[in-house]
Amino acid sequence: MLKAMLRGLFAHKLRLILSALAIVLGTAFMSAAFVSGDTISRGFTDLFSTVNENIDVQVTGKSDVPVNPAGGEGLVTALVPQSIVDKLKTVDGAQTVTPQVVSDGARVIDKNGKAIATTGAPRLGGAWVDGDPAVEIREGNPPRAADEVAITANLAKTGEFKVGDTIEVITLQPRQKFKVSGIAGYAGGRDSLGGETFVFFTLPVAQELMLGTPGMYSNVDIKAASGVSDGELKRRVETAIGTTEYKTLTGQETADAQASGIQSFLNVFKIALSVFGILGLITGAFLIFNTFSMLIAQRTRELALYRSFGASRNQVLNSVLLESILLGLVASLIGLGLGVLLGWAMTKLLASSGLPSGSVVLKPAVAIGTLLVGTLITVLAALIPALRASRVAPIEAMRDAARPDKPLRTMTIAGLITLAVGIVLLILRGTKAVDNNVITLGLGSFLIFIGAVMLAPALTRPITGAIGKLVDWAMPGRLGVRNTGRNPRRTALTAAALMIGVTLATGAAVFASSVKAGVTDLFRSDLNADLVIAADFASGPTAGFDPAIINQVKAIPGVTSATAIQSDAVRLNGKDGFASALDVEPSKTLFGLKAKSGDIRDLNAGEVILNDAFATETGLKPGDSTTLVTARGGESPLKVVGILQPNQLVGSPVVSFADAQGFRVPVAQQGYVKVADPSQVDAVRAQMKTLVADNPEVTVTDPSEQLKQSTSFLDLLLNVLNVLLGLTVLVAVLGVINTLLLSVFERTRELGLLRAVGMSRSKMGWMVATESVLISLLGALLGLIVGTGLGIALVKIFGGDFLKLTIPWGFLITALIGAVIAGLVAALLPAIRAARLNVLQAISYE
Amino acid sequence: MAMQPAARAVTVWKIYGSGEAQVQALRGVSADFERGKYTAIMGPSGSGKSTLMHCLAGLDTVNAGEVFIGDTQVTGLGDAGLTKLRRDKVGFIFQQFNLLPTLTAEENIKLPLAIAGRAPDKAWYDTVIQTVGLGDRLHHRPAELSGGQQQRVACARALVSRPEVIFADEPTGNLDSKSGNDVLNFLRDSVRHHGQTIVMVTHDPNAASYADRVVFLADGEIVDELHSPTADGVLDRMKKLDRRGDADA
Repeated sequence: MLKAMLRGLFAHKLRLILSALAIVLGTAFMSAAFVSGDTISRGFTDLFSTVNENIDVQVTGKSDVPVNPAGGEGLVTALVPQSIVDKLKTVDGAQTVTPQVVSDGARVIDKNGKAIATTGAPRLGGAWVDGDPAVEIREGNPPRAADEVAITANLAKTGEFKVGDTIEVITLQPRQKFKVSGIAGYAGGRDSLGGETFVFFTLPVAQELMLGTPGMYSNVDIKAASGVSDGELKRRVETAIGTTEYKTLTGQETADAQASGIQSFLNVFKIALSVFGILGLITGAFLIFNTFSMLIAQRTRELALYRSFGASRNQVLNSVLLESILLGLVASLIGLGLGVLLGWAMTKLLASSGLPSGSVVLKPAVAIGTLLVGTLITVLAALIPALRASRVAPIEAMRDAARPDKPLRTMTIAGLITLAVGIVLLILRGTKAVDNNVITLGLGSFLIFIGAVMLAPALTRPITGAIGKLVDWAMPGRLGVRNTGRNPRRTALTAAALMIGVTLATGAAVFASSVKAGVTDLFRSDLNADLVIAADFASGPTAGFDPAIINQVKAIPGVTSATAIQSDAVRLNGKDGFASALDVEPSKTLFGLKAKSGDIRDLNAGEVILNDAFATETGLKPGDSTTLVTARGGESPLKVVGILQPNQLVGSPVVSFADAQGFRVPVAQQGYVKVADPSQVDAVRAQMKTLVADNPEVTVTDPSEQLKQSTSFLDLLLNVLNVLLGLTVLVAVLGVINTLLLSVFERTRELGLLRAVGMSRSKMGWMVATESVLISLLGALLGLIVGTGLGIALVKIFGGDFLKLTIPWGFLITALIGAVIAGLVAALLPAIRAARLNVLQAISYE
Repeated sequence: MAMQPAARAVTVWKIYGSGEAQVQALRGVSADFERGKYTAIMGPSGSGKSTLMHCLAGLDTVNAGEVFIGDTQVTGLGDAGLTKLRRDKVGFIFQQFNLLPTLTAEENIKLPLAIAGRAPDKAWYDTVIQTVGLGDRLHHRPAELSGGQQQRVACARALVSRPEVIFADEPTGNLDSKSGNDVLNFLRDSVRHHGQTIVMVTHDPNAASYADRVVFLADGEIVDELHSPTADGVLDRMKKLDRRGDADA
C-alpha cells in the first residue's frame, strides 16, 4: 500500500522538484542568516577574549552618557588621570599596571587625499605601549619621537605605506604629518583584530591628539600577581579608587561587555534576514499547496481505487502526510546544507572586509529549527488538499475525475469580511481609538492581505479578462486568456504567491517615497541657506570640521549669515537625547527659529534654549535651572533662557559651543551659509572650499545636493529590501512554472487538437506565455493595489510633517513591467513543452 | 488526363519498433483518394487503417514511400510545412475530444481560420452553419452541447476552411446511432452537394455504407475495395477478412 502510494509521489518528478525548490530556497535563506550571524558572533566573542586575554582587571572612567541615546554601552568614557594610575600601582596584588590611550577617530589620508575608511569598524589611535604581548612590530621600530607613528599592517596595505613614508593623520586636530617608524600586527599573524585600523603615537602625542587632554588615559589595564584571582583583584581595586567615578571590570566582563553591543546588532541582522527566509517559505507554501492540490486532483481516481479496495480514509491521509513529511524533510535538509554553504560564503565575504571570521558555526537549535519550520510548512500546505480528497466518496471519484469547480461565493464573502475587519482595524488605529500597534497595524495589514488573497479567485476572471482584451485579437492570446480563467482558484493561488513580495515592496516604496517627499518639502520650505558644509556620512561619527571655520566663512564677502551645527548624545535634565550647538542669531534667518517664550539669542556657557517638545515634556520654563551631562565634560548646570516654537530643522535643545566642548568629538557635522546675492554663491563656494581643502571628510555643497545625499540612504534601504524580497518573487515564479506545467499536462489533448488544426509551435508558445504573463500580472496588480493601500494607510496613520503622501508611479510601472518579464521567463519551460508535443500522441492521450 | 487525386499514398511503409518487437503497420500501401469522393478505410483492429490515415494527414511519418495531399508532397515536410499543410489543406474530425472547451461552438468552428488569420467566406460560412443545424446553440460552450451536436460542430470546423481533404477518424465511434447517422448524413451531403473530399476510418459497416468507396486493409496491405457499398456488402467483406485473419492465426 505504502509502496504503491510512494510510487505515485515520484511519478511527478518535475513538479515535485519545483515545489521542493521553494522549500529549499526558503530554508537555505533562513539558515544562512543564522549561520552567518552566529559565525560572525563567535568570531567577535573569540576576538574580544583574545584582546582581553592579558587583562585581568580594567579600569575606565564612568560616563553616564550613552553614545547611542537608544541605549547600549558607550564606547567613549570619561578619562583616567595620572593620580589614579599611581594609586592603582599601590594596590596589593597588582603585578603590572599599564595605562592606555585608545580612542576612535584617527583618520589616515591616502595617496589620493581621501581618508581611509573601514566598513564600520573604528579607526583607532592611541599610545604605543612597550611590552604589550598582543601587539608586535613586524617592520621598523615603535614610535619614539613626537613625529613618528606605527601603523597596523592593514593600514599599510590599504594605503600602500612603507616604513619611512610620511603620512597625514586627522585626529582631534586637523591633518598633521608623521613619519611611519614601524608596521605593527597582532599575535597570530593578524593584520587587524576585527577590521579596525590603529595608529600608534608616542604617549604625550596620543594624549593630546586622541584625548585632547595631556596627562590623561582612556583606561588602565592591570595584571594580577600570581595567587590573586581576577575577582579578588577587582574588589581590591574598587576599594582603592571607589566605584562612583571609575568602573572596574575583570577581563571576562570587559570582553562580554564589548561583545554584547555587537551581539545585539547581529541578532537584529539574523532576525531581519530570517524574516525574509520565512516569507520565502510562506510563498513556497502557496506553491506546495497548489502542487499537492493538483497532484491529488489528478490522483483522485487512483486514491478512490485504493479506497474501493478497502483502504481507509486515514490510510489515504497518512500516505499524503508521509509524502509531505518526506518532501519537506528532504527539501529542508538540502536547504540547510545550502544555507550553511551560503552562510559560510557570506562570512568569508565579510571577513575580506575585515570582520572576524572562524570556522562555520551551526547551532543545533538552528539546524532543528530550520528542518522543523520547512517540514511543518510543507505538511500544512499539503494536508489541506489531502483532507479534501479523502472526503470524496470512492464511487464519485472514480466516475468522474472532473475537477470540482465549486462556486466561489463562500470564499468571496469570507474574503470581503476579512478585508473589512482589516480595514476597520487600521481605521481604529488611525483615529487613535486603539493604540496597540501589533493588533491594529500588524493584524489589520495581515487581514487585509489575506482578505485580498481570498477575493483573488473571484477577481481572476474580471481582471485577466480586462487585461486580456489587449491580446484578444490573436487566437493564441485569446486562448491564453480563456485558459487563465478556467480554474480561477488555481490561477489566483499561483498569483497570490507573487502578491506577497509585491505587496511588501509596494508598501515600503509608498512609505519611502512619502518620507522623501515630506523631507524634501521641509527642506525647501524651511531651510533658507545657499551653501552647506557637511561631513561625509560614510566617514563615521568622528568626521567633521572645526566649528571655528565658520567664523572665517562669515568673513567672506557676500555671506550674510552662517552657523555650524555640532551635535552629540547628552543627558539633559536627566533625559538621554541629542543636543546641538549652533549660533542662534544667524539661525533665525537660516532655519526660521522663533521664540515661543523667553529669549532666543546667542548663548553663553551654561545657557540652553529648549525645543518645544522637550519643554512640554519636562515642564521647564525660561529661567529654570537644570543639568547637562556630556560625554567628556561631565555634569554642569544649565539655565533655560528660551523656548523655541516648533521647528522642523532644529528639533533638539540648543547649547553653547562652549558647553559643546564636552561632546565626544570637538567637530561640527554641518554648516549652513546664506549669501546676499545668488550671483555670489559660486564665488563664496570656491572660498569655502579652500577653507576646508585640507579636510577630505568634509564637502561644500548646496542644500538640494545635501538633500539628495541624506535621502540616498532611503534608496539604499529600499534596494536592499527589494533584493531580499526578490527571493519571494523567485519562489513565486517557480509556482507559475509549476502551474503552467500542470496545465500543459492536463490539456495535452487540447494542445494536440490545436496543432492538428494548424496552430504553429510558436503560437502554442505564445498561448502559454499569455497565460503565464496574465497570472504574473494578476499577482503583481493585486500586490500593487494592496501594497499601495497599506502604504497610504501607514502614511495617513503616522502623519506628521516628515510624511507627504506620494505614490511612487515609477516603481509601480517598473513592477508591472517586471511582472510581464517574470511571466515570460516562467512561460519558457512550459511553452517549450507545449510546442514540442507530439501531435499524434497528444490527440490520442488518455 | 484524369483529375489529380486529393490524397495519394505511394508504396508507403510504416514500421514500429525494431528487431523481435518489430511491427510492420503498413507494407507498401499505394492508394489514390479521388477528389470530391467519400472514401471509407476499413479493416479489423491492427490492420493499419488508422496508421494509414495518420500518414496521409501528415500526423505521422513514413519509413518509405511518398504521400501527397493535392500537389503537395507531405513526406519530407518539416514541422512548419506540416503545420501549414494542416492549417490550409486538411480538415480533421476525431472520435472524441474534438473541441476546445474554452471556446463557443462558433469560435470552435472558426478556429482554423482564426489561427490562419483569415476571415471566413461569409456565404460559405452561412451554408455550413445552416447544414450543421445548430441554430441557437452556436454561442454555447461544448460542455453545454450533446455529443452529436459537438461532433457536428467538429464537422463544421473541418468544412469551413474548405480543405483539400477531410480526415475523419471513427467520427461516430462515441455516438448513439441516431446522432451517428446525423453526422454521417452531414458528411455525405458535404461531398454530394459541395464537392468536399472525405477520407474516413471506421470499423462500422453502417458508417462505411455512407461512403462512395470502401478500401479494406488487413495486415498493413490493401486487400480489397468496394464501390457504392451497402452495409450488408461491407459486412460480408469484413467477415471474409476476419476469417482470413483466423486462418492465419
